[in-house]
Amino acid sequence: MFQLLVAGLTVGSGYALVALGIHIILRATRIVNFAQGEFTIIGGLLALTFVQLFHANTWFALLGATLAGFVLGLIFERLVLRPAARSGEIPLTIATLGTVSILLYGHALIPGWGSLPQPLPSFTGNASDAITVSGVSIQVQSMWVLGLLLVALAVLYVFFERTYYGKAIRAAANNPTGAKLVGIDVTNARAVSVGLSIALAAYGGTIIGPITLVGGAGGTAIAIKGFVGAIIGGLESPVGCVAGGLLVGIIEKLIQGLPGVSYGISDPIVYSLLLVGLLLRPQGLLGARSAVRD
Amino acid sequence: MIARLRADSRTLPILALIVAAFGILAAGNPTFAQAGTYAAIFAIAAIGLSLLMGNVNQISLGQAGFFGIGAYAVASLTTAWNLPPWLSWPLATLIGIGVATLVGLGLGFIALRFRGHYLAMATLAFGLICVGIFHETKFLGGAIGIEDVPYPRFGPLTISGYPAYWFAWILALGAALLTLNLLRGRSGRAFEAIRNDELAAEVLGVPTRRYKIFAFAYSGALAGLGGAVYAAFLGIVVPDAVSVQLSISLLLMVVLGGSGGVSGALIGAALIGFLDISGHQFENTREVVYGLLVILVVIALPGGAFGLIRSRFKTAKLPPRSLATPSPAAVTPRALALPAASGAPLAVAHVTKRFGGLVAVNDVSFALTRGTLTSLIGPNGAGKTTLFNAISGIGRLTEGSVEIAGNDVTGWQPHRVAALGVGRTFQNARLFGEMTVLENVVAGAFRAERTSFGADLFALPSSRRAEREATERARDTLARLGLEPIASTLAKDLAFGDRRRVELARATASGPWLLLVDEPAAGLNASERTALTADLLKLRDAGMTLLLIEHDMRLVMSISERVMVLKFGTMIADGKADAVRNDPGVVAAYLGTAS
Repeated sequence: MFQLLVAGLTVGSGYALVALGIHIILRATRIVNFAQGEFTIIGGLLALTFVQLFHANTWFALLGATLAGFVLGLIFERLVLRPAARSGEIPLTIATLGTVSILLYGHALIPGWGSLPQPLPSFTGNASDAITVSGVSIQVQSMWVLGLLLVALAVLYVFFERTYYGKAIRAAANNPTGAKLVGIDVTNARAVSVGLSIALAAYGGTIIGPITLVGGAGGTAIAIKGFVGAIIGGLESPVGCVAGGLLVGIIEKLIQGLPGVSYGISDPIVYSLLLVGLLLRPQGLLGARSAVRD
Repeated sequence: MIARLRADSRTLPILALIVAAFGILAAGNPTFAQAGTYAAIFAIAAIGLSLLMGNVNQISLGQAGFFGIGAYAVASLTTAWNLPPWLSWPLATLIGIGVATLVGLGLGFIALRFRGHYLAMATLAFGLICVGIFHETKFLGGAIGIEDVPYPRFGPLTISGYPAYWFAWILALGAALLTLNLLRGRSGRAFEAIRNDELAAEVLGVPTRRYKIFAFAYSGALAGLGGAVYAAFLGIVVPDAVSVQLSISLLLMVVLGGSGGVSGALIGAALIGFLDISGHQFENTREVVYGLLVILVVIALPGGAFGLIRSRFKTAKLPPRSLATPSPAAVTPRALALPAASGAPLAVAHVTKRFGGLVAVNDVSFALTRGTLTSLIGPNGAGKTTLFNAISGIGRLTEGSVEIAGNDVTGWQPHRVAALGVGRTFQNARLFGEMTVLENVVAGAFRAERTSFGADLFALPSSRRAEREATERARDTLARLGLEPIASTLAKDLAFGDRRRVELARATASGPWLLLVDEPAAGLNASERTALTADLLKLRDAGMTLLLIEHDMRLVMSISERVMVLKFGTMIADGKADAVRNDPGVVAAYLGTAS
């Protein structure tokens, strides 16, 4: 039971970062980025390339992938989101779906990446290393994942709550016109938001990489589970997104751990939570009852 | 017919010719015939999605779910049954379409609660749940799916290989024709009205919720048909074939081809079908190209490929121009059918409306006398429009009740209130911008037009007749108001004053007996005001009961039998025009008091 919980929190960390990334882009641009899961996959692959190309360890690769994710996010914003913004919400959503197509099938074309998932070296020791706490063994990698999730959240918190630039970005997201009037470069803030969000996705793809493998066609599933987390926790609430993502991971592992249950049933059940959540509490467990029908 | 569909109507026969020509050329080339068949199968599903996206402004990322329902219905039933081949496929297909339609009704009902990206996610979840169910259901073959689905057979003709091309395209073009019929009639106009302005459509009596649900069910039925043909043609159905990827592909087809109407969907499906087959060896590159194309189209060509063709048809016959001198009006409404057993046309009792802590309307009561013109005045923010909304069913009352001609309409939806014979105009003239003036007025007569869904779908004579009559009536209305010269101008291109008069024409087109008019004279010049005054009086003299919100005191005092004054939501005066004019409270409300 405890092991399932830890396993759930580990995969949930990936979903939490995807959900948080979706939230950041939603706040800045008012659209939902369907390609967030694909960027997570690309992030893991970038880390793999850093490891292979520079014989770097995974820590260095994590830094490299995150920075590369930021740049990728800026490009994504400049080439897709910004030009498509004029066309309206539905076309913009469709443009992010087009991005899914490019990233999902495009990454398989890149030498060294291919279409099959590959292992990423562990942060420390071997992938199977485990410590035993009062009779329960926990993978060391899982602890790294949770620790690194907390690090990312702490950094984001400090950035958005304590720094001038972070506050300016929030202001630009909350009230673009007002922000413009007090001299904030809203366009720039938007681009940085998207960059941060994609950097977060790449970071998430890397930290869970040693456990879940990197690459492959699983991006859509990750994105959707991120949505489920965001919807359950509250799309408009950053804390809700993280909590919801973790919860989805736990639910997934608990269902898979039930005796006599087919492994494949967990995905449809998790997906149906999206619909249930939207219907019962569209603002999410931790969201305020506002902007539901925007 | 909606202006946007003119291009569709002309293009469809040309597309049919191209399909036939391609079919003849592909006779000796199985690869081409197969690509063409796939294009037809996806076109069937794409037409439904195109209607949903382009005509009703909804998005669905779950169309593969419906497609799967149709495919699995055919696969499971035809393999399980022991029926003659000519009966087996059609019967299973009908059942599949039936189930898809019912599920579509359910999804449409759920979809009413969402907009924009929330709707995208809800429909995405629907598609995923469908795949999950297919994957986990034993008798549907689980992950392996269902194999050896028999080909449909009609006498000596087996629908496989080359004949399947013709079979699939006959169905696709048939679906396109029926959809076009539907869009050309009353339903299509209702869709277009909803797409332009949902609220305005609702107060004209269009049951907008029902239409939106219907659009989902219709798109589901077509996707189900696509799936049914797919299952029979391919002979095998697996869960992966109806995954989210298919939903996205269908969306890409509609976006590439251009949404709304049918031609865009056909072109988009054919484009993807062609790219699919020509990019056969470049499996991943092909999908990357789709992605790039979609982004390019969204950015540079929002109307899709067909948008380019459509723009050639757009040239209006008449340039938009303002009516220099409005003719002294002559609205002679058709016989107004006043309900026989009824009390006052409108009785409002103790109506209160609060928005949070703000009391917009406070315990207001009044009743109108039949065939009179009453004005409702008051300073800005007095709650006049809120009161109108309360009467027409927009938003919930906090307290009180509204009775119209003896019916307690408290809590009714606006379209039901409208159906009693209540017309209304808006402060900011909510015309359907993308429709012509004539179409706006025809749409206004929605309630008066008698035609059925089935008659529209098959373009039966009764449907055509109803369409002709509705157009004739609207032309008459326009002629009487002197608006004929601008009949084919798009409403969004109208001059402000004309806009108001068109809205009045639209509101009276169905022959209401109670008319709520919200600030009709705002922004009109003197001669336009004279015309408007005459219009209003004419309506009253024909037996209509009018309630008017207006700030122009000269106009109010000259035409009103009775004037009511609201201030901060409370009725402070109610009586004959002269009495109200000299009421010290009213004077204070408007001019303030010396302190």
